[in-house]
Amino acid sequence: MPTVSSRGDAMRGLAVFISDIRNCKSKEAESKRINKELANIRSKFKGDKTLDGYSKKKYVCKLLFIFLLGHDIDFGHMEAVNLLSSNKYTEKQIGYLFISVLVSSNSDLMKLIIQNIKNDISSPKPVHVNLALHCIANIGSAEMSEAFGQEVPKLLVSAHASESVKQSAALCLLRLIRTLPDAMTYAEWASRVIHLLNDQHMGVVTSAASLIHTLSQLSPGDYKGCVSLAVSRLSRIVTSTYTDLQDYTYYFVPAPWLSVKLLRLLQCYPVPEEPAVRGRLVECLETILNKCQEPPKSKKVQHSNSKNAVLFEAINLIIHIDSEPNLLVRACNQLGQFLQHRETNLRYLALESMCLLAGSEFSADAVKKHRETVINALKTERDVSVRQRAVDLLYAMCDKTNSEEIVAEMLAYLKKADYAIREEMVLKVAILSEKYASDYTWYVDTILQLIRVAGDYVSEEVWHRVIQIVINRDDAQGYAAKTVFENLQAPACHENMVKVGGYILGEFGNLIAGDERSSPLVQFNLLHSKFHLCTPSTRALLLSTYIKFINLFPEIKQTIQNVLQNDNQLRNADVELQQRALEYSQLSSITSQDVLATVLEEMPPFPERESSILAKLKKKKPASVQAIEKEEEKMKKSPPSIENHVNVPKEVPANTNSVDLLGLSTPPATPQQSTNSLLVDVFGSVDQPVAPKPESNISKSETAGSVDPEAAQNKSNLLFSRFLFKNSGVLFENNLIQVGVKCEFKEHTGRVGLFFGNKTGNQLQNFSASVSMGADLQGKVNIAPQKEAPTQIDGGAQVQHFVNLECITFFSGSPNLQLRYQHASTPQQVTLKLPVIINKFMEGTNMPAADFFNRWKQLGQPVQETQKIFQANHPIDTEAAKTKLTGFGMSVLINVDPNPDNLVGSGIVKTKTSQIGCLLRLEPNKEAKMYRLTVRSSVGEVAALLCTMLEEHF
Amino acid sequence: MIGGLFLYNHKGEVLISRIYRDDIGRNACDAFRVNVIHARQHVRSPVTNIARTSFFHTKRGNIWLCAVTKQNVNAVMVFEFLMKMIEVMQSYFGKINEENIKNNFVLIYELLDEVLDFGYPQKTDTGILKTFITQQGIKTQIETILNGPKTKEETTQITSQVTGQIGWRREGIKYRRNELFLDVLESVNLLMSPQGQVLSAHVAGRVVMKSFLSGMPECKFGMNDKLVLDKGNKATDDLSKNSSGKPSIAIDDCTFHQCVKLSKFESERSISFIPADGEFELMRYRTTKDISLPFRVIPLVRDIARSKMEVKVVVKSNFKPTLLAQKIEIRIPTPLNTSGVQVLCMKGKAKYKASENAIVWKMKRMAGMKESQISAEIELLPTAEKKKWSRPPISMNFEVPFAPSGLKVRYLKVFEPKLNYNDHDVIKWVRYIGKSGLYETRC
Repeated sequence: MPTVSSRGDAMRGLAVFISDIRNCKSKEAESKRINKELANIRSKFKGDKTLDGYSKKKYVCKLLFIFLLGHDIDFGHMEAVNLLSSNKYTEKQIGYLFISVLVSSNSDLMKLIIQNIKNDISSPKPVHVNLALHCIANIGSAEMSEAFGQEVPKLLVSAHASESVKQSAALCLLRLIRTLPDAMTYAEWASRVIHLLNDQHMGVVTSAASLIHTLSQLSPGDYKGCVSLAVSRLSRIVTSTYTDLQDYTYYFVPAPWLSVKLLRLLQCYPVPEEPAVRGRLVECLETILNKCQEPPKSKKVQHSNSKNAVLFEAINLIIHIDSEPNLLVRACNQLGQFLQHRETNLRYLALESMCLLAGSEFSADAVKKHRETVINALKTERDVSVRQRAVDLLYAMCDKTNSEEIVAEMLAYLKKADYAIREEMVLKVAILSEKYASDYTWYVDTILQLIRVAGDYVSEEVWHRVIQIVINRDDAQGYAAKTVFENLQAPACHENMVKVGGYILGEFGNLIAGDERSSPLVQFNLLHSKFHLCTPSTRALLLSTYIKFINLFPEIKQTIQNVLQNDNQLRNADVELQQRALEYSQLSSITSQDVLATVLEEMPPFPERESSILAKLKKKKPASVQAIEKEEEKMKKSPPSIENHVNVPKEVPANTNSVDLLGLSTPPATPQQSTNSLLVDVFGSVDQPVAPKPESNISKSETAGSVDPEAAQNKSNLLFSRFLFKNSGVLFENNLIQVGVKCEFKEHTGRVGLFFGNKTGNQLQNFSASVSMGADLQGKVNIAPQKEAPTQIDGGAQVQHFVNLECITFFSGSPNLQLRYQHASTPQQVTLKLPVIINKFMEGTNMPAADFFNRWKQLGQPVQETQKIFQANHPIDTEAAKTKLTGFGMSVLINVDPNPDNLVGSGIVKTKTSQIGCLLRLEPNKEAKMYRLTVRSSVGEVAALLCTMLEEHF
Repeated sequence: MIGGLFLYNHKGEVLISRIYRDDIGRNACDAFRVNVIHARQHVRSPVTNIARTSFFHTKRGNIWLCAVTKQNVNAVMVFEFLMKMIEVMQSYFGKINEENIKNNFVLIYELLDEVLDFGYPQKTDTGILKTFITQQGIKTQIETILNGPKTKEETTQITSQVTGQIGWRREGIKYRRNELFLDVLESVNLLMSPQGQVLSAHVAGRVVMKSFLSGMPECKFGMNDKLVLDKGNKATDDLSKNSSGKPSIAIDDCTFHQCVKLSKFESERSISFIPADGEFELMRYRTTKDISLPFRVIPLVRDIARSKMEVKVVVKSNFKPTLLAQKIEIRIPTPLNTSGVQVLCMKGKAKYKASENAIVWKMKRMAGMKESQISAEIELLPTAEKKKWSRPPISMNFEVPFAPSGLKVRYLKVFEPKLNYNDHDVIKWVRYIGKSGLYETRC
């Protein structure tokens, strides 16, 4: 390459200018000097004068320097472009430099510049071609990639381009592809580009490796062939000694960058199939591992750095291959050595890689050998990020055998852990202790200790989880109550502990009440002593605990009522507390003990779901959890840990508001003074305000004077039809009364809660509500009111009435509800349909596609199938239809029908005597706005009925 | 109160560091350097808050002067003090620059010991300080030798005088010729629209007195302040001020030297005082009404072509033909892409200064009621981006021998009851100088 500062190119003026500026005493002096220089250049660039190439170059250089000092330059672009057409290398170089630094990609000059670059690219002189390529890459705009997207690859694969041109072309192309990845496909070049890996010149190979890496990520298929070439190239490098690749040996390591790039490239593809290639690759990796054992050839840090760079990339590849036990174990041992290395960076990298190794089944055991070292690192490491990695690794290597020790170590470390990683550690400890718990006393102990040690970092999810597990596990409850009680006795305990304590004692306090030391009163006093130190949400929880205590221990009812009726509660500034205190004190004083017992029944077990703690950890650190998930999959295959056999609930209420934990949506029967839509209030519990809203709007607009029974009936039909897809809401409403329903179904039994709200100010007398069945339902459904229906409803009040149901066999239609009441001494009568329909007893079932089609074929008799073709009543929307089907009781099967618009569902109708399987297929025709609905069922009547019911709703 | 005081050179090296209170650490001066002097973005606010510490700075030449405090002090007080400090240093060793400061380390530290005590400002009057900080600045070393060391008698007198009621003047001063000089120095600020409409104008003026009077004379100063005159008129006869025949001016606000008896000013609007010896600033004032603008600038800017524009500026002097204005300089900004300028002017010299992006037109003097003109042709270089030129205003500098505010000294009476000289024996000199402040006309 020609040198820049040959004689006559020295540009003395520039040197003088720069030294002038360096000598300026103040900012003002500097800007004065620059202004002067700019004026000078402007006068030189004035249109009428012609400048020779040398002075043009000099002034453009000065402008560039001024620009780099932070001043705006808005002229000289034309001169720079002129420089491009010069034949001298230095002039061209400065021109290109100015353009790549200063010309914006939307400049008017771009066309000119592109023309100049085109000339240079086709020039016979390689240096000119290189300059042009560098400029293209430096600008790297979309315009550039459009203009040169075809030219550059030609250079890359041309036979007579020199090595340096090829090298530049590869990198330039890489840049253009990164700007516009979609615009170009290089499939036609693929094979020739791949063969660049075989090039003689190492520089070309290095830049080609980068290019191929990016290309193979874009279109892996086209570049598959690079694997074998990369392997052979890699093996040649690895086996060569440092004297072989003279220019490309860096501190005795042959071509470290190229090796790293090749190893990365290989990670884009699965393990090569051909045994020869594969063998060679394994050989390479072994050689790299062997080389690490050799004594270092130099003491310089560069030597070890480059050697380790290759090694770590090789280990990444080994992890990627994940099928060579021997290599994995060796890699693990090698990393083990690094764990105690002096270099912090090495320790960090070693821990990070080990984390990945721990996920592989072959090396998991090898990783576990280093447990002691890792624990030690956690305790003694000075660098916080390394400690963090150590925690990750401990988490990853944890299994059933070592869980107790690891959890104990983490707990011990938590006390002095950095604040930044505490929360994450808490989550991890919580997950590990849950996952590997062999007995629940240990689990409860661990979590309580966790709360004690790092209460501030224990998130809601963690303590919610303890409560769920304790509630779902009968055997842990007594122990949990006892431990919690003991923990609460500490003089200062964390609020989270109070929350757990409040909840658990409220549910299971009776289990330890027999002991003198933890008698009901003692329990209550202990909790109440913490009450004043807590935040409102905890206080609210404690208030609920108190009402549960009234239920559990009637003997301390008076004490608790005193607390509830205290002005501190009743007139609390916090509305939630005030309301709870008021409602609970009313509840406890008005209702009888057995009502109380019903309301405050023990919480039902939580349904199973993915652990919310794990979800939270995933949100925090998406990468680190992957390893754990792999682990988890393995766990599922291996004999179940307790997690599986306990039927552990994995659910935290959808809404983390602690209010809902207590299932407060079952309303206590307290008089409310709302005038119009009092029932709506009841259903509009905190977590589902959306559902009842539409009804309430309707009711408000129509309440005016709808005495017309016909209208009322229509409306109630409309309201009824909605119950096909949901279980609660307003069933009927006129200007006197509002009837709300809340149903629960489980298999063939169900419970219907009816809520009668009096909307008038006066009493409704002679009230009666009876459920009757038509002749067709006799013997098919059993109905038993839980209690006698109330006989009168006070003005503005609301009463409830529960009915239990049992489905004996398949039925159609639904029971009737007859309401009679006297308002203003006029008797009124309303007949309503109860939303007890056959589909309520249906449960969705999930099955794979093959099973579905098998069953579909089995139900092939014409009797068993009903098909209807009908106009769509609503806009065709797959998501909405899915929601409807799910509400209907079917589970929607995904990936069964090849057409994504079609919906396929299945469910089982469960009656006491039999179980009837149903399969459904819904095919929309968007053009004609038609649906074709096909239902097949083992009982033909069911298919027909379901089909009719669904027809109107799509 | 001020916790410490630092002086830096333009590079941010600390020249002087004096800490008065313990709450200011040694690293405070680094914090200021890093956050203000070496800040990436130019810090425009004179007050900077860094880590609950306030830094008040001002720049003189290439020297940064910075006061530090942790407390919530009166910022105006701190700046007043910094200005005083600059004034004091200037009177001791002349121009404030790095070399002078380095040469006068000892003096500056001595001054700093005296002007601030535990961060509370003390005597900052140059005259008083010079009585007991006898070290002279390096520049006047020879004078010190001539004056000779002070006698013991004089040193004991300093104590009583500095702690006494009249701290600014010592007793027993004697002059053969009782003489006093009164300078009215004003600076006119103006912003005018191209059409000649005054957008804003005000005069900031000072009355500086240099007194060489024996004993402890009592002086009374009178000027044509509207309030004072009205009051006087009311006392004598109830006619309007026309009776006195002289126009009076409205002073917006004014401040006095500490020697002026404020109680008398409050009650009688009369300015009476026992003057400090030598030069001092008697009062400062500001007026905004009825300002007589000495010059009018009429700009005419025309774009001839895309790469050429023409500027014509006419200057009219607007005062009595007998008076002569001096040191006139008119600065006409040029666009940033100017590539060449041709200037033509009838009077004075004009030149295009590329380093300042302006045409500078200078005239030695100009009589009243005259007119002068300059025309220039500016060639422009087409630029890559069409950025509109912001057209900064044309500014002007001058000096005129009258007070543009219209202030007149009516009398200055001197009474010295103990020594036997009276008002008539005192030789009095009065001089008016009007200078330009920011005197700008938009174009």
